[in-house]
Amino acid sequence: MLEIKNLKASVDGKDILKGLNISIKPGELHAIMGPNGSGKSTLANVLSGKEGYKISGELKYEGKNLQEIPIEERAQKGIFLAFQYPTEIPGVNTSNFLRTSLNKIRKAKGKKELDALSFIRIIKEKSNELGMDEKMLSRQLNVGFSGGEKKKNEILQMKILEPNLIILDETDSGLDIDALKIVAEGVNSSRSDKKSFLVITHYQRLLNFINPDFVHILSNGKIIKSGSMKLAEDLEKTGYKGIK
Amino acid sequence: MLNFKINSNAIEKIGNFNAKEKEFRLKNLDSFNKNGFPNKKSEDWKFSDLREIVSKNFKKLDLKVVKTDAQKIKFIQEFDHNYIIVTNGELTSSNFKFEEKNKIKVQNYLNNNFINKQENNPLINLNHALSDKGYFLEVEENYKLKKILVIYNLYTNNLNQNILNCKNKIKIGKNSELHILEYTINRSKKNFFNNIYENVVLEQSAIYKNICIYNEKSFGYFHKYSSNKLDTKSSSTFFIFPSGLKFNKLDLEFDLNGENSECNLQAASYLNHDDHQEIKTRINHFAPNCKSFQKVKNVLDSESKGIYQGKIFVKDIAQKTDAYQLSKAILLNDDSEFNSKPELEIYADDVKCSHGSSSGSIDEDSIFYLMSRGLNRQEAIKLLVEGFLSEITNEIKSNSIKNFIIGKLEEQLHEHKKN
Repeated sequence: MLEIKNLKASVDGKDILKGLNISIKPGELHAIMGPNGSGKSTLANVLSGKEGYKISGELKYEGKNLQEIPIEERAQKGIFLAFQYPTEIPGVNTSNFLRTSLNKIRKAKGKKELDALSFIRIIKEKSNELGMDEKMLSRQLNVGFSGGEKKKNEILQMKILEPNLIILDETDSGLDIDALKIVAEGVNSSRSDKKSFLVITHYQRLLNFINPDFVHILSNGKIIKSGSMKLAEDLEKTGYKGIK
Repeated sequence: MLNFKINSNAIEKIGNFNAKEKEFRLKNLDSFNKNGFPNKKSEDWKFSDLREIVSKNFKKLDLKVVKTDAQKIKFIQEFDHNYIIVTNGELTSSNFKFEEKNKIKVQNYLNNNFINKQENNPLINLNHALSDKGYFLEVEENYKLKKILVIYNLYTNNLNQNILNCKNKIKIGKNSELHILEYTINRSKKNFFNNIYENVVLEQSAIYKNICIYNEKSFGYFHKYSSNKLDTKSSSTFFIFPSGLKFNKLDLEFDLNGENSECNLQAASYLNHDDHQEIKTRINHFAPNCKSFQKVKNVLDSESKGIYQGKIFVKDIAQKTDAYQLSKAILLNDDSEFNSKPELEIYADDVKCSHGSSSGSIDEDSIFYLMSRGLNRQEAIKLLVEGFLSEITNEIKSNSIKNFIIGKLEEQLHEHKKN
C-alpha cells in the first residue's frame, strides 16, 4: 500500500526527515511514536502533499510515485489525513462541505454523486456512531468546535470518505478518556484487510485501544527502532531517552 | 484629458424653472465647472481618481438620452413583492397590489429644496444642477408594508457615453416600515455614467430595510450619494452587494438625529477584472443613545480595486453612543488592491466606538485542508470565498430573499470561473 524508502525532507534549509524507511501492507496498522520535533507531523504533511518541503527518496502509494500526484488526487485515490489541528473554516457549513468532499471522491472513483437525502442518511448514522451532536453538522466547519469535537469531526470524515490509507496525526492529543475511546472505536470499526493505518502519536494511551501490528520509534528524522506493541509498553516505562 | 465643462443653456434644455430653482441650478453648475470631476488631490477621492477614470473611458458625456419604448423585464419569481420600475432613472411603472393604496405615494420626483449648502462633492453639484429625473416615494404614518418593494433599476441598451443625473427621495412616516430590494438590470453594452442623489427621511420609530444588488456585469460607471436622516427610535438597515460595475462609488451618510435611532450597514462584494469600487460612509452621531454598526467584506481578484472609507463622527452631546466598524478584505491576486481608511472623530466622553480593518491573501492552510479532502485549488478557493461573504448574506432574515441573494452572488463567482 505504502512504501517509503530513504525519505528526506527539509523545510527552509532545515533537515527534518533524514532517511526514513517504512512499508505498510493492506490491512496493517502501524504506529509511529516519537518525541516532540522528531518529524512526525512532517511525515504526515509530506504524505498528504503539503507544499513547502524539499523532498528526496522514494514514496510509493499503490505502486505509484506519490510525489507526482497532486494533493486533491491523493484524497480522491484514497489517502486520508486526520489533522492534528483541523483548520477552522468560517462560513462553510460542515455538512455541505462533507457532501462536496464525498461527491468529489465518489466522482473520481466513477461512482454516482449522492443526493442530499441519501447523504443525510449516511451522515446521521455515522455521526451517531461517534456520539456527535447532530447540530454540529449544521455549524460552520470546525469554527468554535472544542478540541474533542474537532477530532471527532476528523474521524467522521474518515468514516464517510472511506479511504484506503489513513494517517492519524496525533488524533489522540487533547482528548479526554471517553472521547479517546470513541475515536479508537471509530478506528477499530473501520479496519479491514483492504485498509491501512498510520497512527502518529506521543503516547501509548491510544494504542492500548487499537492494537497496532507494528510500532516504530521516530527520533531525529529516522526510525530508530521497530517492534510490536511491547515496544510501546517499554517506551511508556523508560521514556524516549531509554530507547537506544 | 476630457474637458467636461457644461454650458448654462444645458439647464434651459431640461425645463423651465422658477427664478429660485434656476439660481440654485446655476450656482451648482458654476461650482462643478470650477472644479470639474474630482481627482486624487481631494481627500475624499484619494483612492478613486474620477477625473482620470472619466477621461480614460469617455470621449463625451451626453446629457440627452434617446427615449426607448417600454421594455420588458423578467420579474423576480422567488417571492411576492410590490414593484416600481425605473428606466434610465425615470419612474416608468409601479404596482402596490399587496398594499392599501392610500398609504403609499409614488411619483416623479422634483426637487423643492433649494438651500444653497456648500457641497464639497462636485458630483452632488452636478446632480443639483442637472437632475431631471427620479422618484419620490412616501409611506404614510403607521403603516407597515406587507410585502417587500422591489425597485427594478433598468438601464437600456441605447445608453452610450451618456450621463444620467437622477434624484430620488424616500420618506417613511412615523411608526411605518418599508423594505426595499434595489435590483439593477443593466442592458447597456456601452459605457455610461450614472450620478444619483438620494434623500432618505425616517420619521419617529420608522423602520427602513434596504438590500441592493446588481444583476450582472455591466459597463456602468456609478456614483451615488445617499443622505439618510433618522429621527428618534427609527432604524435603518442596509445590505449592499455592489459588484458588477466598472466603477462604483457609494457615498452614504447617516445623520442619527433622534435619540435611540440606529443604523446597520453590511456589504459583501466580489470584485474582478478591472472593477473599481468604493464604499464611503459617514455616520454622524448627533444625539445620545444611538447605535451604528458597519461591516464591509471584499474579495478582490485580477486587477480589481476596492476601497472602504468609513468615518464615525460623535458630537459632544451624543453620550452613550455605540458605534462599530469592521472591514475585511481578501486579495486573490497580486495585482488587486484594497485601501481602507477608518476614521473616528469623537467629542463625547462616554461612548463605545470600535473599528478594525484587515486585508490579506487567502489562508493557505485552509486551502490545503480542503484540498486534502478532494477539492481542487479553484474549488477550495471558491468555497472559502463563498464562506467569507456568507457572513453577510446569512444576516438577511427572510429565507426566500436570502436564498435569492446567495444565488445571485454564486452567479457572480461562477462568472469569474468562466472568464
